[in-house]
Amino acid sequence: MTTGLECISVSKHFGAVKAVNDVSFEVPPGALHTVIGPNGAGKTTLFNCITSELKPTSGEVRFEGHVISGRKTHELPAFGVARSFQRTSIFSNLTVAQNVWVSAFRAFAGTRVEVLRPADAHPEVTETIYQTLEEVGLDRYANSPATELAHGDQRLLDFAIALAPKPKLLLLDEPTAGLSRSDTQRVMHLIESLKGRYTIVLIEHKMDVVMRISDRITVMYFGEVLAEGTPQEIRANPKVREAYLGRRA
Amino acid sequence: MQKLFSLPSLIVIALLIVGLPFLQRPVVAAEVLTLGIAAVATNLLLGYTGMLSFGQALFFGVGAYCAGILATRYGISAFLAIPVAMLFSAVIAFLIGLVCVRRSGLYFIMITFAFNQMVFFIAYSWTTMTGGEDGLPGVRRPPLIDDQWSFYVFTVLVFICALCVMKLFVDSPTGRILQAIRDNPGRAAATGHDVGRYKLIAFVMAGMFTGLAGAIFAFVFGIVPIDKVDWRFSGDIVFMTLLGGSGSFIGPVIGAAFYTWLQETVSHYWDRWPMILGIVFALVVLFFRTGVAGMAEFLTGKLTQKGAAAKPKEMEAGS
Amino acid sequence: MTFLIASQLLNGLATGMLYALVGVGLTLVLGMLNIPNFAHGGLYAFGAYFTYTVVNLTGSFYLAVLIGPLLVILVAFLIESQGVRRLYAAHHDYQLLFLFAMALILQEAIILIWGPVGFSVLTPKALSGVVNLGFTVYPAYRLALIGMTVLITVALWLFLTRTNVGAIVRAGMENREMVAVLGTDINRVFMWTFALGAYLAGLAGALATPIMGLTPSMGADMLPISFVIVVIAGLGSILGAIASGILIGVAQSLTTIWWPEASNIAIYVLMGLTIILRPQGLFGTR
Repeated sequence: MTTGLECISVSKHFGAVKAVNDVSFEVPPGALHTVIGPNGAGKTTLFNCITSELKPTSGEVRFEGHVISGRKTHELPAFGVARSFQRTSIFSNLTVAQNVWVSAFRAFAGTRVEVLRPADAHPEVTETIYQTLEEVGLDRYANSPATELAHGDQRLLDFAIALAPKPKLLLLDEPTAGLSRSDTQRVMHLIESLKGRYTIVLIEHKMDVVMRISDRITVMYFGEVLAEGTPQEIRANPKVREAYLGRRA
Repeated sequence: MQKLFSLPSLIVIALLIVGLPFLQRPVVAAEVLTLGIAAVATNLLLGYTGMLSFGQALFFGVGAYCAGILATRYGISAFLAIPVAMLFSAVIAFLIGLVCVRRSGLYFIMITFAFNQMVFFIAYSWTTMTGGEDGLPGVRRPPLIDDQWSFYVFTVLVFICALCVMKLFVDSPTGRILQAIRDNPGRAAATGHDVGRYKLIAFVMAGMFTGLAGAIFAFVFGIVPIDKVDWRFSGDIVFMTLLGGSGSFIGPVIGAAFYTWLQETVSHYWDRWPMILGIVFALVVLFFRTGVAGMAEFLTGKLTQKGAAAKPKEMEAGS
Repeated sequence: MTFLIASQLLNGLATGMLYALVGVGLTLVLGMLNIPNFAHGGLYAFGAYFTYTVVNLTGSFYLAVLIGPLLVILVAFLIESQGVRRLYAAHHDYQLLFLFAMALILQEAIILIWGPVGFSVLTPKALSGVVNLGFTVYPAYRLALIGMTVLITVALWLFLTRTNVGAIVRAGMENREMVAVLGTDINRVFMWTFALGAYLAGLAGALATPIMGLTPSMGADMLPISFVIVVIAGLGSILGAIASGILIGVAQSLTTIWWPEASNIAIYVLMGLTIILRPQGLFGTR
């Protein structure tokens, strides 16, 4: 039986500060799991432990049984892991298609270093690029410089870079951060269309979004897991209410 | 089959190759092409990968001294000495690169500077091998290319080959990954590329071809002067690149041409020609950061290909 | 042999104190602007040459040491206001390259103004001759130099740690965005820090004249050493720059006894090793 993502007693301490303390959860393949919590709850630190930007002080993260925590960042795609960024992270001097090429080529060629043929010499890669751009709705901008895209489109490009290698695990860091209502809708439709085909872990603040698309939710509070469950369970959970809204007199 | 060079580039290259030996003496034209190779190679680091190195003179010198010593001490012909020197430069670049490329920004500048100085003082002190302060004289060309014109043709051939190889390199997947690294190293790593490894490849390419340039240079004037290993020459090479335009593949060759013109022609009229060099450098940095090529592109505007966005880039604020 | 070692040690101490001044000046600018000031050597040279001119005009070495470095501040203001400041918005590599261009211009300017031939400056009468230290005799000027630089470094230290302005300078070196947010005009802080760094370089140049003489390339010769000093010290550490400067001066003097060529290469090997093994330097905090 294939396992999905497993967070096993992950802790991250910065000196005396326990940013993340003994957090565990499991995400079965194809499920969408969201991590929420008030500011400073440790969501981003936890996320960084999963994406390997930080090494957990203790505990580990596994995907499909392989340990992915504590590795070098560039090793993760080999395990089928891809991530997007909260602050749109693209290659500003390349075109839209070339942006997607960067991850698509890696999926195609692995770690092979190619120096003799032109970068666009592989039709399979080009095919993947255009498929991905179509999926996110940016295909007509393929040859435009990435910087000419509108803000919301750049975020979609950010996703496209993550999607092109057809990963198995998608890690999305506040995918709707800083977006307008209409752009937020576009992003949410995209993520919903990905459900089931990918295992997805999301960090998100917008509660309506979270409730609508999540299969399960982990609520963090001061670095620890406050609650975990389906959206209905979380909505009804009094501890969660207290954490977000404060104690009622 | 994709074109290797765009039409404007081809025209510039052709004009340079044909025009230079008539505007200058053929031997000076050869010097321009040599420095042009070094500048284009340095731009592999600067414009394509976003790495500012203050150690390129190290490789120029290593290539020059290697070829020069092989020729003077061991009587080896230029046709063999030059490739060997190029290979030797590649090895040195690999070894130095191993410790340098993972340092970023300020530290990378300082450590390439440090290595440059080490090599300079080795060249300065090891007088039996390198001639020390006075340089290494008596580097003879093979009889086949001994006169001015045949040597120039030889240099042109090497220049064209070097440029073609480097252009293939930047157009290749590796070249594009380097540009992605320049634009966003964090994202490049997140998509699975080993940034350190690619930077090392760029460093070795740049060092190898700068070494090639140095190796040919030894035969241009028959002497390897020590100032070509000096840290100031490292800065000069970077400036040739900027002046010509780090946002263009062949732009740096224009910078090399200008530098050589100042050094060989203006120097006859005014001893203080380096002052002009310094002022031009300052003006480029302040007002003309895209260099000659950048300005030409700006002026011709619509004539350049639309959407051909993946090219070297001058450094931008906030990166 | 002990005599040789002892006198070389003292010589090294004297040059080391000069290096310390130069190093601190560079550290201030490096900490603030985050770029190595390639023109630092040129400012050092200008300090020496201005001193030479004032000595010739007034006959007083003391007056020259007073005025010379102040004139260097003027040069620094020009460089900062016309060049460096225009480039704050651009990628900081451009500031570095601008300063490199300035190094070139400064050296050529020296040749234009003072000519290509080197000069010497006579030691002031009161400080010439030797002092008997018991185990060795030692040039009086060098002794005075050590004393003077100690006083200057103490004064500088007090300025940076005990005054409000000094605190702002140190804060700016740590975190300039924060200083700007706190309402200080960060551009003025930059300007004055740059000026202070230049002053120290110019002062070192002035004080060096009786020992080292003057040549147009003295700036280009000093610059690489100043880089070694700040790297070994740790980028941003002022105390470290002082200690490192003295260390390098003494190390150079001592290796000259046994293996002269090595003294030059050795300091760059040390620089390289520091970056590789301990990038924060011996005393650095980042």
